[in-house]
Amino acid sequence: MNAKIETPDLMIYAMALEIENFNTVLHGVSSPLPVLAMSVARKTHAPDMAYISGAEGVDPELDRIYPSSFDARLNRNAVAYFGLHEAFDLAQRGELDVMFLGAAQVDGNGNTNLSLIGDVERPKVQLPGGAASAFLMPITPKVVIWVTRHSNRVFVEEVDFVTGQGYNHRSEEHKANEIVVISNLAVMNFKNPERVMQIQHYHPGHTIEEIKENTGFDLRVAPDASETPVPTQDVLDLIAEIDRDGIRLSEFH
Amino acid sequence: MKKVLTSLEEAARLVQDGDLVTFGGATFHRAPMEFVRELVRQGKKELNLVDREPAMDFDLLIGAGCVAKVRTGMLAFEVFGMAPNFRKKSEKGEIVTKEGACQPIIAGFRAAAMGLPSLPVKGMLGSDLLTISEVVGSQTEIKDPFTGETMIAVRAIEPDIAVIHAQKADEYGNIRIEGPFYEDVIKAKAAKKVVVTAEELISNRDIRKMPEATTIPHFIVDAVVETPKGAYPCSCFNYYDADYDHIKAYLKAAAQDQFEQYLDNNVYRRASA
Repeated sequence: MNAKIETPDLMIYAMALEIENFNTVLHGVSSPLPVLAMSVARKTHAPDMAYISGAEGVDPELDRIYPSSFDARLNRNAVAYFGLHEAFDLAQRGELDVMFLGAAQVDGNGNTNLSLIGDVERPKVQLPGGAASAFLMPITPKVVIWVTRHSNRVFVEEVDFVTGQGYNHRSEEHKANEIVVISNLAVMNFKNPERVMQIQHYHPGHTIEEIKENTGFDLRVAPDASETPVPTQDVLDLIAEIDRDGIRLSEFH
Repeated sequence: MKKVLTSLEEAARLVQDGDLVTFGGATFHRAPMEFVRELVRQGKKELNLVDREPAMDFDLLIGAGCVAKVRTGMLAFEVFGMAPNFRKKSEKGEIVTKEGACQPIIAGFRAAAMGLPSLPVKGMLGSDLLTISEVVGSQTEIKDPFTGETMIAVRAIEPDIAVIHAQKADEYGNIRIEGPFYEDVIKAKAAKKVVVTAEELISNRDIRKMPEATTIPHFIVDAVVETPKGAYPCSCFNYYDADYDHIKAYLKAAAQDQFEQYLDNNVYRRASA
């Protein structure tokens, strides 16, 4: 590898690679990384994807991002508006292929917490809330969880509160749906019979040992684990152009 | 058609202490901020707020002591981080937070708009959020009578009042929303009373030239207030963008224990010493 590729760009590219051509994809609130990943995917390997913005625009000609992922300027030259309630209808029909969600805590079964730590009646830490997590996690064919601070405070043995449902909190039918976790250190999935988290890719410059040390549970390693694919210069230029203000860095401070 | 044009002060008096209230827009976009500031000026108490992804509108009312209870899917300031007053007061036990999720909240509004007591949704099963909603009585597991599929029934959410900031209105309450609608039309149909603050008043003659642009017709609107810059510092599509610097200044004031000064300068507009 030549020049060092920055972690946010590596994560954005890894997130983009989770989208397949012809997928229907939605992003939610507070989502600069997903917006950039969707933009990269359709400029590279998924030109025919259906892009539904959290700001409601369909297939917009996005030229830059803003501090809010609901900013109406994200809908520039969209072909249509498709409201969140309509996107949710689509999800219930099984026709929303990919969704990106955040997490304050994740555990080895894929449960996420975005709600609270401590007592429900009087939380020690009030978190922002799971938004669409509890609704979309079990029913969406692929949910990509992005985490910008991989540590054993975030990757915990068991989440304090199950906002989004991992494999031990799902029906058999919903166990077929995929969860991918993309952090600042690795790409992880649950592609094993026990449906527990495993390292699929480790980011360049990071070792499996380091990733395991920063994880609060016994993190498996996929038999075919490999280094995370790196984006081409064209992809890096595209990300830099769309995010000229460096908004993608806000989650890494 | 009855004329419903009124002043901001009069319209805000339609909100009673303890009311269940929802606002139009989402996060920093088309929230009825001038109306929210008027609620603070009128010293409303014990409000019960519900919306899927609000931001500064809810946090401002919480910080000003107007709120008893909050139900949202997520309440945060996008990339700027947590909603400061929400977090503080929730952790101190000064407000009751009953977290929902976006879909059940939208489904609750949709049920009310359709005149149904409840509406089923998929997903949700296995989430601890259900333990909260079971206690509150807002969501419960059901079986579809035809397929036997397990779903979650969401109780209808019928706000006492929905307040929506729109781009255009006539004096009778025919409303044009431009750009993203969010769930504003559903909320208007779900609520017992509807107040619309509008950037611009247009004539009924103009409304009649393009009825397909009327997203909310007059017979479900109780009050219209001409309110230029009524969403500021949030955005109003086709009129102005969000003022992210102002939003950052709000967060700074809250973080530095200067929220009272923020209210003085921006809500009460008292000259500060």
